[in-house]
Amino acid sequence: MTTHSAADGSVLTDSLLDRTPPRQRTRKGRAYSADKPRRSKVLTVVMFAVLLYFLIPLWWLLVASTKSNANLFSTFGLWFSSTNSLWVNIQTVFTSDNGVYLLWLRNSLVYSVVSAVGSAFLATMAGYAFAKYRFPGGNAIFSGILGAIMIPMTALTIPTYLLFANAGLTNTPWAVILPSLASPFGVYLMRVYAADSVDETLIEAARVDGAGELRIFFRVALRLLTPGMVTVLLFALVSTWNNYFLPLIMLNSPELYPLTVGLAQWQATAAGGSGSRALFSSVITGSFLSIIPLVIAFLFLQRYWQSGLASGAVKG
Amino acid sequence: MTAADVRQPQGPASTPTPPIRRRGPSPMRRRENAAAYILITPFVVVFALFIVVPLVFSGYLSLFRDQLVGGTTFVAFDNYTRALTDSSFLTGVGRMAVFLVVQVPIMLGLALAFALLLDAGVLYLQRFIRLGIFIPYAVPSVIAALMWGYLYGPDFGPAAQIAKNLGISAPPFLSQHWMLGSIMNIVSWEFIGYNMIILYAALRSIPSELFDAAAVDGAGRVRTAWSIKIPAIRPAIILTAIFSVIGSFQLFNEPNLLRTIAPNVIGIDYTPNMYAYNLAFINRDSNYAAAIAFILGIVIMVASYSVQLSTQRKERAGR
Amino acid sequence: MSRTTITWRRKAMGLTAGMAVAALALTACSGGSSGAKATGSAAAVSQADIDKAMKTPTKLTFWTWVPDIQNEVKLFEAAYPAITVDVVNVGQGADHYKKMRSALQAGKGAPDVAQIEFQHVQSFALGDNLLDLTPYIPATTGADYVPWVWKQVRSTDGSKIWSIPQDSGPMGQLYRDDILKAHNIAVPTTWDQFATAAKTLHAADPNVYLTNMPGNDMGQFTAMLWQAGARPFGWNGAKEVTINVASKEATKVAQYWQDLIKAGDVSVDPDFTDTWYQGLANGKYADWAPTAAWAPVFLQGTAANTSGLWRAANMPQWDASGSPVSANWGGSSDAVMKSTQNPIAAAQLALWINHDPASTLMLANKQFLFPTTNATLTNSEFSDLAPAFYGGQKVNQVFADISKTVPEDFSWLPFMDYAYSAGQESVGKAIADKGDVVGALKTWQDALVSYAKQQGFTVK
Repeated sequence: MTTHSAADGSVLTDSLLDRTPPRQRTRKGRAYSADKPRRSKVLTVVMFAVLLYFLIPLWWLLVASTKSNANLFSTFGLWFSSTNSLWVNIQTVFTSDNGVYLLWLRNSLVYSVVSAVGSAFLATMAGYAFAKYRFPGGNAIFSGILGAIMIPMTALTIPTYLLFANAGLTNTPWAVILPSLASPFGVYLMRVYAADSVDETLIEAARVDGAGELRIFFRVALRLLTPGMVTVLLFALVSTWNNYFLPLIMLNSPELYPLTVGLAQWQATAAGGSGSRALFSSVITGSFLSIIPLVIAFLFLQRYWQSGLASGAVKG
Repeated sequence: MTAADVRQPQGPASTPTPPIRRRGPSPMRRRENAAAYILITPFVVVFALFIVVPLVFSGYLSLFRDQLVGGTTFVAFDNYTRALTDSSFLTGVGRMAVFLVVQVPIMLGLALAFALLLDAGVLYLQRFIRLGIFIPYAVPSVIAALMWGYLYGPDFGPAAQIAKNLGISAPPFLSQHWMLGSIMNIVSWEFIGYNMIILYAALRSIPSELFDAAAVDGAGRVRTAWSIKIPAIRPAIILTAIFSVIGSFQLFNEPNLLRTIAPNVIGIDYTPNMYAYNLAFINRDSNYAAAIAFILGIVIMVASYSVQLSTQRKERAGR
Repeated sequence: MSRTTITWRRKAMGLTAGMAVAALALTACSGGSSGAKATGSAAAVSQADIDKAMKTPTKLTFWTWVPDIQNEVKLFEAAYPAITVDVVNVGQGADHYKKMRSALQAGKGAPDVAQIEFQHVQSFALGDNLLDLTPYIPATTGADYVPWVWKQVRSTDGSKIWSIPQDSGPMGQLYRDDILKAHNIAVPTTWDQFATAAKTLHAADPNVYLTNMPGNDMGQFTAMLWQAGARPFGWNGAKEVTINVASKEATKVAQYWQDLIKAGDVSVDPDFTDTWYQGLANGKYADWAPTAAWAPVFLQGTAANTSGLWRAANMPQWDASGSPVSANWGGSSDAVMKSTQNPIAAAQLALWINHDPASTLMLANKQFLFPTTNATLTNSEFSDLAPAFYGGQKVNQVFADISKTVPEDFSWLPFMDYAYSAGQESVGKAIADKGDVVGALKTWQDALVSYAKQQGFTVK
């Protein structure tokens, strides 16, 4: 790791802030990667076969969302039918039940973004504190937080429901957002990441400058912690976006549902006695449309989360 | 606790967390403590409110019995002793143990193999491959189960359609014997990429000095992978293993959604988590459900801990 | 307690209109605080009080999964402009009940009015969650409904009215006229004929089954017990339940289907799944039997490509000599939660949409719910419909006639969620596995008895 020997702490701090964390530079320069490995066509072909396995279900989803209810069952699943119903399906998805799908989409976005930003920030503060300070009760609290990773969700969801109901919070967005703010795994990741990426000498230097501890966190450490924070944010984003159980229990009004619960409900209306509707093609098209935002988010934020993971968050 | 111990078998790549300012004067120390408490307070409050309080409440509930007629009575640990002789619960735990022993090694083995291949840089279109394998992680499990449900379909699924054209019969994916394997497949599809990315990231951060020695030795790629890379990312492997153990025992969404298309294959007690859910909402016995969830939590802790112990023993034996 | 109720009560008290009003105020008050015990025999609410309540601005929440029931609710709101109704679909069937139970258990967030299927009415009554509607509706109301339906929504001893019937499902069969004709098979009128027809048809065309027997539909299975004369469930309104799912009659039904299933003459696909929908659409099943009165319209949406090929008929009979006997599968009602703060308005909503001639006709013809009122069943705008899908047959008339043949004396356990779930795990599984359906009845019986005891009931 590079050493920082500049005498003036503040200059050092400022100059460091615009740099990538030191660990990434060692990776780039490592001898092993430098000696260009010979690429293998055979292995690439094998991996493309593997890739097919991962992409075929998504391909099926794309193809199926271009089909009408009837064609869905009467034509070959992995290829398009002669008539393209994609546009009709999309229109149905967005207009069914007075356009409730758009509300679901908005809800999913709001719930997951608010939860993700909130939980990533809380985890970053706590993780940094656990990594950089030794304080009474710190280890005990941290152990307790880690133990919580193992609690099965059903142990929590039902009592949480009862407590929330008494507080009048059920069937409100808070019922989904608040429990998602507590991410023990996020704290764990950020502790490891902070231990690695925020250099001790930097904190010392800032202290010599006379900066308060909180100021050091917000002005110096936070920027160094950003890649790790984005990683935690992404994990939280995905887990809230994909969450089904909690909103299923907490929410009653369809206009508050996230996409997962809404689509599952559409799917379920096909499976009941009186008043049933076969909405298969709407469910499929709705599912297809719903995964697009998250895929885009992944592509867009790829640079951040990969460096966040690589910079030590997971290497213990 | 378990995950904390994950960090202890330190690979060569890790940097020990330096203890902070032991020699600082007392006021300084006090200021640091204050800062630490301020920084952890928001998380701890949220943690206490939304994890600790419900957990304690659930523990409290598990000590009572609430009958449909007769009301609520304190029964101490009756619900726990009942669970330990409840064949529905025990069968579910057993099924998840099978799931764990079969699915987790396959999933992690593949994830590790893919990560090593990507790290070795022997593939063309590496970025594309990496992303393609990872993409399923972005698909909600609700949608994944729905998609695979169609793909498995005995009459209209693509596999059945292809088999029909070839004049053979497709495997009955949704039948009694195949179902667990079919669910394993869905879970693997969802999470191989996720685990691969974690392991890949760990591989990328192995310091180069380690390889210099290997290069001097003239070790081949496979040997380097086996004797240097894998030991170096052992903590990350244990981490993914523990998360997989936890995830397996908590299985809910996939079987619960497949139940709508195979209602007689997947019973209400197919997984312990489904059982607890149905106890609470169908049997209207949330007290017993709370006890089941607690025991499940203990099972998960024991399983995670034994994963760690076994890897530590191996490590010691290897030395 | 909401502002409207308080002002209303104050005005009512101010009038000092005697005992009736005071008793009413008490009822309204205890209705407002959840968990309060009902006052013994509530005196009838006077028309003046109802008129007053219906002119007081009130907001009601109505949980139902009937698609587009908003139409009938709009009619109600037009009749009572002071009342606004928030229609919420919290899920269908099991999901709906889970949410209701959660909200009722939590003591907050429950609706004023909720849809409840017949078999679950008693379980909500057991939880003391339902408002007895007797004081809120005219004493003659019951006479307007089909007798067996009216029995479904009352307490075991008949003294309390728990909900207002919305739709019903008297059972018959829907068959593919073209397929039966092609194989020279007459429409079976007895179960014996039905078994022979099933064998003949499947032997003639291995891709076709006379019918499908799902292993996931305990509602249908229970209705078949109903028809066969089994009375497997009962509850005395207090601590005593009757459980008898392995009776002689039930065994007869189980044995009958077990033989057909083991011989491979009927299929065992789970119903309301994509496979099953396609089976209806592509002629895999030549007969949907037994099915219920809501099925004709449902089928038109599901198997539109088979228009003109289907016909309706009576359910096959066990006893060819006697007068025909049917049963009920499906059907629901609207109940008022005891926790409501506006019992009068809520009760009027439940009654009005299921009683007003315009509303019930619309429910029947637009929402396709099979009627429960005598007036709508005999209304020619309903019974004379002759859809082309059924080759011009007056299918509604067929089922309206069947409705008269449903035995009245069928009752339920106060925990049908569990009863159906346990039934699906035993009997349903035996059907799906083509196994021992008769033996599974015993398993079901044992599970029910042990659950009932666990929950504090005595089992008769």
